[in-house]
Amino acid sequence: MADATLHGALARLADTLASTHRAAYAALHESDRLRERARAIKDATLAELDRHLATLEESVKRRGGHVHFAADAADARELIGDIIHRAGGGTRIVKSKSMTTEEIHLNAALEARGWQVVETDFGEYILQVAGERPSHLVAPAVHLTVGQVAEILSTRSDTPLPADAAQLAAFARRQLRDRFAEADVGITGANFAVAETGTIVLVSNEGNARLTVTLPRVHIALMGMEKVIPRLSDLPVFLKVLARAATGQKLSIYTSLVTGPRQPGELDGPEEFHLVVLDNGRSRILGGPLRESLFCIRCGACLNACPIYRHVGGHAYGGVYAGPIGAVLTPLYDGLAANHHLPHASSLCGACQAACPVKIQIPQMLVKLREMLHAEPGELSRREAIVYRLWAALLRRPGAYRAATYLATRTIGRLAPSGWLRRVPGLGRWTRSRDFPAPATERFRDWWRREGRA
Amino acid sequence: MNREEFFSRVRDATAAGRAYRIHTADVTGERVGYAGAADDPAARLIEEVNKVGGTAHRAKSHREARNVLAALLRECRPASALCWQHAVLERLGLCELLAELGVRYLAYDELAALDPAMAQKRMLEAEIGISSVTYAVAETGTLAVASATGRERSASLLPPVHVAVVEADQILADLFDLFDALETAGLDRLSSNLTLITGPSKTGDIELTLTTGVHGPGRWHVIVIAPIVPERSER
Repeated sequence: MADATLHGALARLADTLASTHRAAYAALHESDRLRERARAIKDATLAELDRHLATLEESVKRRGGHVHFAADAADARELIGDIIHRAGGGTRIVKSKSMTTEEIHLNAALEARGWQVVETDFGEYILQVAGERPSHLVAPAVHLTVGQVAEILSTRSDTPLPADAAQLAAFARRQLRDRFAEADVGITGANFAVAETGTIVLVSNEGNARLTVTLPRVHIALMGMEKVIPRLSDLPVFLKVLARAATGQKLSIYTSLVTGPRQPGELDGPEEFHLVVLDNGRSRILGGPLRESLFCIRCGACLNACPIYRHVGGHAYGGVYAGPIGAVLTPLYDGLAANHHLPHASSLCGACQAACPVKIQIPQMLVKLREMLHAEPGELSRREAIVYRLWAALLRRPGAYRAATYLATRTIGRLAPSGWLRRVPGLGRWTRSRDFPAPATERFRDWWRREGRA
Repeated sequence: MNREEFFSRVRDATAAGRAYRIHTADVTGERVGYAGAADDPAARLIEEVNKVGGTAHRAKSHREARNVLAALLRECRPASALCWQHAVLERLGLCELLAELGVRYLAYDELAALDPAMAQKRMLEAEIGISSVTYAVAETGTLAVASATGRERSASLLPPVHVAVVEADQILADLFDLFDALETAGLDRLSSNLTLITGPSKTGDIELTLTTGVHGPGRWHVIVIAPIVPERSER
């Protein structure tokens, strides 16, 4: 929170993206009805999801691809590991940005098998070199300054790199080209998968997703099972809203429709294509009241619209999926007890829903999650209950309260002149990515007396 | 978990989820969000290409287009060019032009005869990519390039400069028209890779500073030949 760089960058990103995306919606012909149409397609698709997944499988196979179904993250990691192992060689892997591979913690699993995994999205590459996690869905390294990036990338260069965005990008282009050229396997996510044609759709601005599906011999795409759409004619509806919501563009620079491996006679493109379809908690969501969260097309518009997220950034609350939709998805995919704080970190102002290209009712879902939490209190909330009971006991005994606040201000308060505590015993997990406010250096009652008002 | 268990779980969840369907305005069947491109699709394409950071050139004839391309080649001075085999480029006399200017033409037959690793090396070395398009979309400033034998996806991707030559009758008004055209051509004939390109490769990953050419071509030229030529172009 006290990190001025992060704070400034996030506010600027949110301002830029939120205003360009408002303008883009305004310029989009019949935008409201188009968003309604996108929403209707998602709803109808989920009502027949099993059938569409079967069609998708059949279509991919017809075009010479392979389809695998993974029940959970462990299942998906093992499946992908086996595909790479069978593909032989397979020690060098390039990836283009995919939240779903982050969701299953794929990189760590592949590296544990001794394979080299290179993130090729420019922002993700910087973070990988730095050993950090992404802070934003569409701009993962937005919290770093150009000077910090120059320092990070200089560790991979013989000579120190200048703090100039264009020169740093050119350096990354050269480095990553070599990685692409030598890679045996390319791993991507999928923005959409068209059931009737077996096509997966990849959207990017840099072109790294294109390189990932052009140079390596094997292409593996991992998709959440809710990404399927029935017909090719449904795709333009989503393409028209996706880029506008994400970055305010009419279309992202590159939209690739990948249908199976390369055809005979073609000189580039993968010889082998594998699609891994992931459940990992999605079927649990699909059959319940939070089904609508599966409409999400991962544009990040809700992050830029959110007044809270704009101030604290994506690291503060943990979880793979950040921001308002992340507060819904992370507890659903990763467990409610472990992420019980997320549904509460919202003022329910509704800005996210207004920005959403498929109009997901995010505030309603957060309230629903809060209800579910009350129905099944987790381990952490029991610990919280004890803390609150102690607090209540203290408040009922004025003498003890006066003594406790005197002690707190004279000890901890004076030891933390910045006003923030980096670490608090017993709150280790909470303070790992946040600061805790320290007590003031004197009590209010002392100040009041000193000012001669009592 | 095997396939059957996976599907049985999804089937149950799908059925249970129908109780939570949402109510949306019925807009099925309507063409919502169709913007079109007014009267002059070529002019609109040029305007939009320039808006997204490309450089569009309007040529009234193939001869004029050839001159524009020649000027670009003289400026870039590439050692080798990765080109599509396409009727539009033949009408332009691309091979002869490259020979005249001393640019090595990476011919498909030659590349196909090489060891795959060597062919990839040659394609990675190319300093300019020259293609036509499968279609262009005027309203968004988009080029649709479909892969095929002799129309490699690398041509519009690997070199730092990509030049595309578009004839007027390849231009469609709206993104919806593109998907209609694909449907008409036959969904079973969809290319293994169809990419919609709307601008030069871009990133804003450092402090939101717009930087071009981080992975794909940083320079993106579109030569639009309009008015319509008498002969129909090959798609």
